[in-house]
Amino acid sequence: MNYALHLLVYFNIYLIVALSLNLVVGYCGLLTLAHAGYYAIGGYAYAILTVQAGWTFLPAALAGAMISAILSLAVSLPSWRLKGDFFVLASLAVQALIFSALYNWSSANAPMGSWKNLTNGPFGITGIPRPEIFGWTPSTPLAFALFASVVAAICAFILWRLKRSPWGRLLLAMREDELAARGLGKNTRLAKVQAFAISGALVAIAGALYASHVRYLDPSSASLDEGILMLSMVIVGGLGNFRGPIIGAAVLILLPEILRFVDLPDAQAANLRMLIYGLLLILMMHFRPQGIAGEYRMG
Amino acid sequence: MQILINGLVSGSAIALLALGFQAVYLPTRVFFIGLAGIYSATPFVAHAVLKAGGPPWLAALVAIVSAMILSLLCEWANHAPLARRRASDGAQLIASLGIYIVLVQVIAMIWGNDTKTLRRGLDSVTHFQGTIVTGAQWITLGTAAVLIGGFAVFLMRSNIGLRLRALADNPTMFALYGYNIDRHRLLAFALCGFFAGASSLVTAYDIGFDPHTGLHTVLLAIVAVIIGGQGSFAGPVLGALLLGLLRAQVVWHLSARWQEAATFALLAAFLLLRPQGLLGKKTRLEAAM
Repeated sequence: MNYALHLLVYFNIYLIVALSLNLVVGYCGLLTLAHAGYYAIGGYAYAILTVQAGWTFLPAALAGAMISAILSLAVSLPSWRLKGDFFVLASLAVQALIFSALYNWSSANAPMGSWKNLTNGPFGITGIPRPEIFGWTPSTPLAFALFASVVAAICAFILWRLKRSPWGRLLLAMREDELAARGLGKNTRLAKVQAFAISGALVAIAGALYASHVRYLDPSSASLDEGILMLSMVIVGGLGNFRGPIIGAAVLILLPEILRFVDLPDAQAANLRMLIYGLLLILMMHFRPQGIAGEYRMG
Repeated sequence: MQILINGLVSGSAIALLALGFQAVYLPTRVFFIGLAGIYSATPFVAHAVLKAGGPPWLAALVAIVSAMILSLLCEWANHAPLARRRASDGAQLIASLGIYIVLVQVIAMIWGNDTKTLRRGLDSVTHFQGTIVTGAQWITLGTAAVLIGGFAVFLMRSNIGLRLRALADNPTMFALYGYNIDRHRLLAFALCGFFAGASSLVTAYDIGFDPHTGLHTVLLAIVAVIIGGQGSFAGPVLGALLLGLLRAQVVWHLSARWQEAATFALLAAFLLLRPQGLLGKKTRLEAAM
């Protein structure tokens, strides 16, 4: 039972991740690998603010979302000029910079969370407290799963409203033909900045949720592998609509769990999981470039 | 001086790989991340041959040939069908990423995740102008010089080299003159596999290898391509040497852990300020595609 609840929490976290990534990849048509970086920034902001400053969940997660939204300028500004492979590279550079900042911003003598040792480097942050909202702490697995579901539902609702708004249609127009959208007097640069900021803020909340669930955070949550996993979720599930990323998150969370019930040595199982992700990506590009339930084709 | 030599050595290994990447990217516009998987696989093949009792030259030969075959398989099974269907650059890139993941995981499942080395015991050392150069470093420098020089002659003097450059310049025109694009694409991928294999072997001989080094090294090569200019074959070589020198300087002046940050900050700076690279002509990025 606890196992199922744990899976539910993971699904909720990656639901937010996939939906927010879809806003950029599916609606703006910009492939980004830096999403994991913003996810980790949200997690770290939450961890440091709760462990060091004693903040509760809501202010800490919102502060993380703000920081992440501001830092999202690092990917949205390059997107003004760069397209295709070059934008992917720029987002990769951002991911690498975030990762090495989290990995290196440490010093053995200073206490964790101080200016000299902000992230505790490769050792990560331990003892992150359970979330506390208005005095209530979801301490049982069931309560936490409920809490995660509520957070995910709120994030999903925000995205759902946004995507049905005129602003959401502007993103679609920009994806199909940026020049034409600008010709109609739409400010596409502003729209890109807004899309990246919203997407970064929401994924930061997912990161805070993750940090408060696992209660330990290290720089690997900003790694390239994590970014690739997030991207595969959106691509396998489907780009450009609401149900695609949900299906993608469900498939990529549940598929590796099936492997748990097959008797395999641990090391092999981890490799096999990644192998399946890779195969899925290739097969999708060949046979169904729009993903399982998507509308927008990468191909 | 020692830092200079170290930078030059790592730079020339990157240069070989960057040339391999460019050999595919320039004629076909495929962003070949799958190359990282091939890069990872090559030393394992060589290791297996050595373990079976084969002599070193045979191991190197088998490894490089297998890298070329792998690369050809990627084109034949993945990139050519996608290109025929006019898939976008994004689709090619994602499929290539998929290939990389699959290759690395297969390698890790067969040979394990540990770091291995091709060399036994300590390396020989020569003193040169007050610096220490190891045997492996000489091999790297020599291989890079010979292969890069050979490739330059091949491109400039031979008929096939001319046709490759023509394909890179304008594929439609090239096809109109009655040349077979698919066959020349295969040639480009074979060249790519060859260079990646060579680069991987010399690096593995120098510092060892594990299944996960590939992507990181290929990213370095791609950074080199961007720095040098993605419109020519000379650009990547120049970019790689500069990158190698810079990374060695960072290790000396700051610390090894800021190497990655410096590399990618450089990439970001070039993408924003000079996206055509050092040797590039000034065009719009989209026009270059």
